Amino acid sequence: MAEKKKTTTKKTETKKQDTKKVAPVKQEVKKQAKAAAGSTTEQKARVGVFICHCGTNIAGSMDLTAVEAYAKTVPNVAYVDNYKYMCSMPGQAVINKAIHDNKLTGVVVAACSPRLHEPTFRTATKEGGLNPFRFEMANIREQNSWVHMHDQEGSTDKAKDAIRIAVAKAALLQDLFPKAVPVEKAAIVVGAGVAGMQAALDLSAAGIKTYLVESDASIGGRMSQLDKTFPTLDCSQCILTPKMVDVGREPLIELFTWSEIHDVEGYIGNFDVTIKKKARGVITMAEAEAKGIVGGGCNGCGDCEAPCPVIKPNEFEMGMKPRKAIFINHPQVVPLLYTIDWDSCVKCGLCVTACGEKKAIDLEAKDEFVKVKVGTAILATGYELFPIEKKTEWGYKKFENVINGLEFERLICASGPTGGHLVRPSDGQTPKKVGFVLCAGSRDNTGIGKPYCSRFCCMYSLKHAHQIIEKIPGCTPYLFYMDIRSFGKAYEEFYYRIQDEGAKFIRGRVANILEDPKTKSLHVMTDDTLLNRPIDLEMDMVVLASAVQPSADTNRTRKLFGVSCSMDGWLLEAHPKLNPCGTTTAGVFLAGVCQGPKDIPDTVASAEGAASAASIPIHKGEVELEPYFATCIDEKCAGCGMCVNLCPYSALALVEKDGRTVMEVTEAKCKGCGTCGGFCPGGAIWMNHFATPQIVAQIDAFLLGGEQ
Amino acid sequence: MARTKGYPAALDKKLQDTKLYLDDSNPEFTKNVKAISRTNAHMCYQCGTCTGSCPSAPRSSYRIRLFMRRAVLGLENEALTDPDLWLCTTCYSCADRCPRDIIPTDVIMSMRNLAFKRDIIPVNFLKTVQAIYSSGHGVPNNDVNRAAREKIGLSRDPPTTHMFPEYIKGIQKILDHYKLKANADRIVKEREG
Repeated sequence: MAEKKKTTTKKTETKKQDTKKVAPVKQEVKKQAKAAAGSTTEQKARVGVFICHCGTNIAGSMDLTAVEAYAKTVPNVAYVDNYKYMCSMPGQAVINKAIHDNKLTGVVVAACSPRLHEPTFRTATKEGGLNPFRFEMANIREQNSWVHMHDQEGSTDKAKDAIRIAVAKAALLQDLFPKAVPVEKAAIVVGAGVAGMQAALDLSAAGIKTYLVESDASIGGRMSQLDKTFPTLDCSQCILTPKMVDVGREPLIELFTWSEIHDVEGYIGNFDVTIKKKARGVITMAEAEAKGIVGGGCNGCGDCEAPCPVIKPNEFEMGMKPRKAIFINHPQVVPLLYTIDWDSCVKCGLCVTACGEKKAIDLEAKDEFVKVKVGTAILATGYELFPIEKKTEWGYKKFENVINGLEFERLICASGPTGGHLVRPSDGQTPKKVGFVLCAGSRDNTGIGKPYCSRFCCMYSLKHAHQIIEKIPGCTPYLFYMDIRSFGKAYEEFYYRIQDEGAKFIRGRVANILEDPKTKSLHVMTDDTLLNRPIDLEMDMVVLASAVQPSADTNRTRKLFGVSCSMDGWLLEAHPKLNPCGTTTAGVFLAGVCQGPKDIPDTVASAEGAASAASIPIHKGEVELEPYFATCIDEKCAGCGMCVNLCPYSALALVEKDGRTVMEVTEAKCKGCGTCGGFCPGGAIWMNHFATPQIVAQIDAFLLGGEQ
Repeated sequence: MARTKGYPAALDKKLQDTKLYLDDSNPEFTKNVKAISRTNAHMCYQCGTCTGSCPSAPRSSYRIRLFMRRAVLGLENEALTDPDLWLCTTCYSCADRCPRDIIPTDVIMSMRNLAFKRDIIPVNFLKTVQAIYSSGHGVPNNDVNRAAREKIGLSRDPPTTHMFPEYIKGIQKILDHYKLKANADRIVKEREG
């Protein structure tokens, strides 16, 4: 009946009609539910089965002729066909034509994973004049031909099973209509390193209100710790601080520093995010004004810092410079706002006195929680260095003159703890021979290090080599490497330049480092694999290009947003090649290194990609949700309310209807998980597209081997 | 001419074709080495950590990395006929540090096994076999050791086959089962007459 209506509509108009249909969805669904619950089919099912060869991906591993012959014998099958590439335009045309010619009521495509081509074949089904949800996919590639490549007989049998099961469901499928929900015109970006800042700037430039959340006291991230950037040798701060200032200035960006994500609820278009503003102990000028303190609030003058009696290592300077318990990390922080480290503050109150009339300091400050509503979210949680002391052979944290790459950045940086003079931590002397250990903890399959390439260590080590040649006359850098991976634009040219400047390259991974206890110099032991000679070179200092790993809080944050991660902790993109910024959670996107190691150009590109992707649903204004929600069959519902507490998404409620208490579903909140449907003692809950009769039919089809 | 004696031969050697040809590789060798050593011998990426860790390398021409390369490429003859194969002290430093989690020492041991099947083995290794066969020890106890043991309050002989010679028979049974002693005797006789 609904089908007849649709077949008469022209193909080009179907799209429009669907959105118009949104309103009467509920009524229609209820009608279907009732019909199916009464187990009367108004029309005999006619299922078309379309078998894809996928070139030789499928056809090479099983006997498709036998599969096709079998499919013709399956009950309810009205038509069977095969094609080399079902997803191609001619392949889709086969489906389209067959629906018309054979008056099909359901479509089964036996091909790849629904994750890859379910949308394609839904569209083809729709273009053939059927409701797109009358399509079912039988996965005979990922779950069959690829894993049973050398078992022709077994894979053929398994394909027959998969098709029989899919047909059983397809025969009972019903028309469903996606629900459109409005999208909140705001986005949240988690992490304000260069990726998060770039994403926030792009979103705000596109007119979208953006909440930028950073766990540290200042924005800027890792890039603000770097001295120079390869291969152009721009000063990192010089190119980053303008962006930081822009972020601070942009009215559409609301900045939350010293904050973290506390809770996330909702779905694409309507996320409710709770931000935890960690107690900072210092109020901004705006906050002071709101409290009625005239001319008050922190202006970054630093008067509080001098009297503070507590001295702690400055994390921004990799612990190589002191800071007070009330601190800013470095002079260019955004926002220019002091922060109290509660773990070390003794609450002596000297800072409060020094601050005086500005009344910016509150030693009794508590964490605050702010709730914001956003349409989309971008995670840009970045990285930290792998604790390289775990590789004991290189002596980090054991030998004073073995440092890591970020410590080198601070030591060579003019605003760093030594004013830009690279010195040996043991005696303050200027080194004349500096060893660089590449792949320190990367490309390591021992289970201690990381199996992946950290991607930017080769290039920053080349840059470090350049910096010491430039700053210390007569100082020679020795780079111990396995491969120099200079893959980016102008990177190989940079390698050429550094070798020309006098850096020595030794192809051998460092086996171990020993310290001369008297001089604190280091013996670097390796094999010059090109000379085929074991070597022992005495270095004044060694820099370990440590592997990188996801930042500490990444795992907690990703779970709140429902994003998966790979085995090594990097957040998982929807598709590594074709959807690198998206995730499998609609409306949540990834930017920068949290998805995998990236240098600055790639990070910025990824951030701009994520911002663009995250702005699409917002600019569209509404998104379609899969109509897989639960519905209540009022006549069967006893109003016991047991399902209400079971629902993980708080989508269910008891209501009065026609003098009875029955359950009602808030469709936009329902994720179709099936918890309520599986539990309901009266069988009153109908799960759209995964209804009990449909699933039972699938199980029967499998267990009975096709015999009814 | 006495003055050029040896030169033409040395020059000939230098001018030999040393290219690697497909025929030089035996893929079965790679598989055998992997099976016997029970380590991923084919996964070496030639970083040199093994040779850099090797206590033998700075004192000899032994380069474990080269043997790993030969394992990867299946260079059976080159690996098994290289006398360096027998210079590994089996200290396992390379195995501790290999970033690919390979156990290079076990690769060397597997190559030694394969070499022995071709009667390639230094005589001193065979004499160790003979010593084990007759005493149960590769390095049997001697009077100097006995005196030293006595001095620090230990029994003159350790509680091994030295103290319980009746168990030597068991060791001999094992060695005979694998025909190790017979082969050792045969090869030693061939070499030393």
